Amino acid sequence: MTESTAAAGDTAPLRASGPGGSIYDLGYQGYEGPRLGREAAIRALFWHTVRSCYGIGRGGRAKIAPFAFGVLALLPAVVGVGIAALARQAGELGEIVEQSSPINYASYHGIISTFVILFCAVQAPELLGRDQRYSVLPVYFSRALARLDYAVAKILGLVVSLLAIIVLPYAVLFIGRILVAESPVDGLVEELPNLAPLIAQALFTAGLLGTLSMAISAFTPRRAYATAGIIAAVLIPSIVVALLYSVMGDGPGELVVLLSPSDVLDATNAILFASSPDSPAVQDSTLPDVAFVAAAIIGIVVAVGVTIRRYLRIAA
Amino acid sequence: MPLISIDGLTKHYRGGVIALDALTLDIEPGIVGLVGANGAGKSTLIKLLLGLIEPTSGTARVMDLDVRTHGPAVRQFVGYMPEHDCLPPDASATDFVGHMARMSGLPRTAARERTAEVLRHVGLYEERYRAIGGYSTGMKQRVKLAQALVHDPRLLLLDEPTNGLDPAGRDEMLELVRRTGTEFGIAVMVASHLLGEIERVCDFLVAIDAGRLLRAAPLGTFTEHTGSLVVEVEDGRDLLAAALIRQGIEVIEDGRLILVELDGERTYDIVRDAVADLGLPLVRVEQRRHSLEDLFRDEVPAA
Repeated sequence: MTESTAAAGDTAPLRASGPGGSIYDLGYQGYEGPRLGREAAIRALFWHTVRSCYGIGRGGRAKIAPFAFGVLALLPAVVGVGIAALARQAGELGEIVEQSSPINYASYHGIISTFVILFCAVQAPELLGRDQRYSVLPVYFSRALARLDYAVAKILGLVVSLLAIIVLPYAVLFIGRILVAESPVDGLVEELPNLAPLIAQALFTAGLLGTLSMAISAFTPRRAYATAGIIAAVLIPSIVVALLYSVMGDGPGELVVLLSPSDVLDATNAILFASSPDSPAVQDSTLPDVAFVAAAIIGIVVAVGVTIRRYLRIAA
Repeated sequence: MPLISIDGLTKHYRGGVIALDALTLDIEPGIVGLVGANGAGKSTLIKLLLGLIEPTSGTARVMDLDVRTHGPAVRQFVGYMPEHDCLPPDASATDFVGHMARMSGLPRTAARERTAEVLRHVGLYEERYRAIGGYSTGMKQRVKLAQALVHDPRLLLLDEPTNGLDPAGRDEMLELVRRTGTEFGIAVMVASHLLGEIERVCDFLVAIDAGRLLRAAPLGTFTEHTGSLVVEVEDGRDLLAAALIRQGIEVIEDGRLILVELDGERTYDIVRDAVADLGLPLVRVEQRRHSLEDLFRDEVPAA
């Protein structure tokens, strides 16, 4: 029986002495320190999610995809700053070079949105599916967190992680262009009007694609299904929109464009930077600007609502 | 104020299954065994106490707080070890338990210290830095216990903690549970369908069957009249049985074994003398509890 050894440990600390010193078995120590409760748990889960998005605290392989997408999203910005610097030195010819440069604030959304979608497709299923796959949810929900808190912390974690890979290249472009200007003050004055649209577009992109990915991932423990679902949810509507446009032109069918996340984000980008959208269907759309902005906001609200509802009901 | 106070707690699942039927019960701190056959409602009761599922009607209060309205506040002080697997195989025990400490509201440094402490306590040492996927069942059960203990709860709810363990693993897990209750001063509720196992660690027993309370009483009153004695002899079983029957003792022959109805200390003496008189090679004499079903049949339900 193991009881005899345990009984000895019950009462007094065991002590073993030797020439090298003493070993004390102090037994079980209670915890008298602070218990920070629900809010601290939510914050901790949020940061844990952000770290997981970048593979921090996981193995090296978990870092490959997020950092690859981050670098791929960043490189065009570095090139863009380089072109701007060269253009400055080329004088009048430079004006033309810069005008024709494919890398500017308005075009950047189109350049990086693919990497943002891929980031979502790789990370969102892992953020939610893993806990479902291995039945970890009962362990979460039996702690200081509520079901709602779990969903909110995870969604915010992904959205903020996406913001980082979107904002970083924007920031490189923005700061780089200020620094290569003839005087930094002039540069700042010139670039400053672009700041608000940059932030707004980053929020739309991270918000819509992030929440949509989480809403899809919430419904399957299978990673492959969620990944396929996320890509399909972005790709299929945009294909449908393009087909409808080529067949019917702008007509009653054009409302479908509001259900296509990539077209909606293309539209908000064009609205914010007063530029021409990439998608012909959006370009020729007779819908008012506000319809696209509303579609983006409603999309985010619905995706968050669906995800929360799922977690309020999921068996644990 | 009782630690757990349950009033008319009822849970109906979809499809008309009644998992818990108007259970009313007060539980005081200590090590409480929750026994019942599979499907009796043990897991349902534990999940209701944690607020993991919503009751159909009735209330459950833990530490005088309603678990439905004060879930997060109550659960800061409650540890739960689920019946089934709940561990991500790609995380290490240290990472998983540390993360769960923070999910209970512990600050970062405290979470790290408590994790080291509690993993040492359940007997995980160097392997705690390796991925859980490579652990044995026994080690996984220890990690499950560790995550339930890491925030130093006032109440520990264990759902079939010996599930899937070999006999040595069971002994160790039960010993850990016993120490948690006595040495650490944490109130423990252990659910099990094995009475013989649970009676080794707890001092109070709650028996439920088909969602109803059969009996809630200190362990002693539960088992004192229900024992029987198993006697095994190398040969001469029939001779012994006949001798015992002559002494007026009820005997059930079961293969090589003889089951003798226990009737106080006297029974031991009679068996000993009978074996000695016949000069039979005795293999063992062992006290055996009745099975859970027998226990329930014999006992008069009392609330």
